[in-house]
Amino acid sequence: MARNNTEKNDVLSTWASMRKLASKYTTWVTFVLLILLLSILTKGAALRWQSIRNLLIQESVRAFAALGVGMIIITKGIDLSIGYVVCLCSSIAASFAQNPNYSSAIYSGHSFPLFVPILAGIVAGGLFGLFNGWLVAYGKLPPFIATLGSMSIAKGLQLIYTKAAVVGSLNQNYKNISQGSVGPLPNLIIYVIIAAIIVWVLLNHTRQGTNFYAIGGNPQAARVSGINVERDLMLVYTYAGLLYGVAGVLLSSRLGLANSLTANGMELDAIAAVTVGGVSQSGGVGTVGGMMIGVFTMGLINYGMTFLAIDSYYQQLVKGFIIIVAVFFDMKKYARRA
Amino acid sequence: MDSYALEMLDITKRFPGVLALDNVTFRVKPGTVHALMGENGAGKSTLMKCLFGIYKEDAGTILLQGKETHFHGSADALEAGVSMIHQELSNVPERSVADNIWLGREPKNKFGLLDHKKMLQDTANLLRRVEMDVDPRQRMGGLSISKQQACEIAKAVSYDAKVVVMDEPTSSLTDNEVEHLFKIIRNLRSQNVAVIYISHKMEEIFQIADMVSVMRDGQMVGTYGVDELTNDKLISLMVGRDSTQRFPEVESRIGDVCLKVEHLSAMNPRSFQDVSFELHKGEILGVGGLVGAQRTELVEAIFGIRGIAVGRIEINGKNFSKLTPKLAIDNGLGMITEDRRGSGIFPLLNITNNTAMASLGEYRNKLKMLRHKEIEVECRRYNEALRTKTPTMETLIQNLSGGNQQKVIISRWLMTVPDILIMDEPTRGIDVGAKLEIYTIMANLVKEGKAILMVSSEMPELIGMSHRVMVLCEGKMTGILDSGDITQENIMRLATQFS
Repeated sequence: MARNNTEKNDVLSTWASMRKLASKYTTWVTFVLLILLLSILTKGAALRWQSIRNLLIQESVRAFAALGVGMIIITKGIDLSIGYVVCLCSSIAASFAQNPNYSSAIYSGHSFPLFVPILAGIVAGGLFGLFNGWLVAYGKLPPFIATLGSMSIAKGLQLIYTKAAVVGSLNQNYKNISQGSVGPLPNLIIYVIIAAIIVWVLLNHTRQGTNFYAIGGNPQAARVSGINVERDLMLVYTYAGLLYGVAGVLLSSRLGLANSLTANGMELDAIAAVTVGGVSQSGGVGTVGGMMIGVFTMGLINYGMTFLAIDSYYQQLVKGFIIIVAVFFDMKKYARRA
Repeated sequence: MDSYALEMLDITKRFPGVLALDNVTFRVKPGTVHALMGENGAGKSTLMKCLFGIYKEDAGTILLQGKETHFHGSADALEAGVSMIHQELSNVPERSVADNIWLGREPKNKFGLLDHKKMLQDTANLLRRVEMDVDPRQRMGGLSISKQQACEIAKAVSYDAKVVVMDEPTSSLTDNEVEHLFKIIRNLRSQNVAVIYISHKMEEIFQIADMVSVMRDGQMVGTYGVDELTNDKLISLMVGRDSTQRFPEVESRIGDVCLKVEHLSAMNPRSFQDVSFELHKGEILGVGGLVGAQRTELVEAIFGIRGIAVGRIEINGKNFSKLTPKLAIDNGLGMITEDRRGSGIFPLLNITNNTAMASLGEYRNKLKMLRHKEIEVECRRYNEALRTKTPTMETLIQNLSGGNQQKVIISRWLMTVPDILIMDEPTRGIDVGAKLEIYTIMANLVKEGKAILMVSSEMPELIGMSHRVMVLCEGKMTGILDSGDITQENIMRLATQFS
């Protein structure tokens, strides 16, 4: 009888530890399963290097947004302004990269060195992030509302700045930033890898990053531990803003133009991606690896459905369900034990 | 007259490591005001929580008017005519008085819509019954605390109340408001309602109560008519016991003053005012007082978590009139807060991160990168020294027991190498064995010359561990007892000085 029990316990504990493991690596397991599924359904066609390369390029800009909002969600915040901030940054950057002889250029007749558009885009993003961060940290606005407001401000500024016109005819040097490649690796992918490494170092190897987790996990305890919660919150939104700025530059460089529709809806894609990647809405949990896997999982789903010629209306539907399921499990996992 | 409104018979409730209620029997007659007395932690609130079904008792029966009952929460109890008036009000401040009273059972007209007219009329009648002069349409949040409280009582009455429990109802009332509350209570009594009155204020008990039941250490000491008792007798009933807990020898050399607080007052005039004291190296200074004495507020202000209106804090000879936690830590202070879940642990982080959180700045290389190896070694060293029991250092802290969580938090502060450690209720929610370990850690710390400022609501702990005890009552310091004078009676006397 007793022996029977211990055997049963062994089985139970193996099962439990397997479940634990599975729940720890859910995002990775999902990703691998998706790839397998897709390669079976397309008999390997979807997994040719050319296709994967396209997928990576397609998702790379979103990856910047995801890294930014991922850090913000770790501090238990949210950012709805991403799409329009990226849009604004891409327009500002592009306006300094237009061919000087293009008659509708914003600075027609002027030519700027390459660093000007890049810097302008990134600085614009950083300033917007600082503004968001100030509202949340010192203005004590709920992040949802603060960034809802700044979203509209960013959109307004973009329309005013461009007079609602397309910022086109960008010079080749600027386009080369994102359109070139080093050996088999497209530039964009290299940039994403660099950004991911920087964010990874920040989150895992600096006091600042550890503070973000602490603030998201228990702001009161963070304060008692001597963490300057306000300053760190302002910084996390600023870092995210800088990443959106980079995204804006790369997006206009890749598309060769910027307009008021650029990056629309990117906030939802980015939030969905990091959520699928295991960054918890309850704060204090998330990894760079997870964020990246999340981005490419969402990309893979889109791409796979396109490849399988599934109507794009259904794609929207499937995406919605995936986000809901991801958050559902997230909430179950981290629900406070009452 | 032999029938009781409420009988709680042989109630036993056990928590891990603690027998919170030991065969407690408590009977209340209708039409009486029955005071329930006892020190902090004597079991009063546990008993009431069992009554309302917030805790499930392990053994015992509850009879309401002779019928066995089990409530599942306060809403359920309210339906049966048993209600609780809390220290904290639980109304909806943005809605009207009438809305609040009829919340969830609003009268409807024949179209199924809200019958506002009836609602207002019923409310007016009800308020008249408790002699309240309030417009039912008034916004609840706009009323004074005492009127809000009266509205809660009116709500209880509207449910045909049989038993009304009042938990420290006068803690935020002025003298006039207390008078009015007592009028309402006498009114309830005359309508044959049983009122269970929980308070620490002796004077009130003798003014309003008919019967007094005293609890101590989870046991019912006895029930007395109020005329059988005197102030002194009541105190000795509440505290009269030999300390059963053992404490380690606290051997240390008392050194120079390391923390000096002068005329410290909180921003909030109801909180601590004009507190001055000195803490020496190698000393444990206990801070005693009842709930609401503002002890936590005081020590949190010293650590910079709360603001200070006036006063001065001197740490190791350096003067401060404004502190932040960061500044306090940099100057050698550490703080173990009262609310371990709320402001202590980072539930989703592991032991290492939880331990290192307050001293990360000390473990960075030239590039400002964290020296993870060294951090892990140090965290492990501190936790091993305190004997934190955990499967691995990567275990999430939320999976540890309360005692082990507390050790991790003590490790966190030891790692900052503090001179002065503030410990607010250092053994709250911790089982007996772990308590002794924490006491030993404290004794070792002062032996090394560190100073400890310890807030405690547990009398034996206060007496067993402190070199001196400072007592607060309603935000004012009522005295500092030197080692020879530290007795339960003296502490209680100072803690109830203004009541």
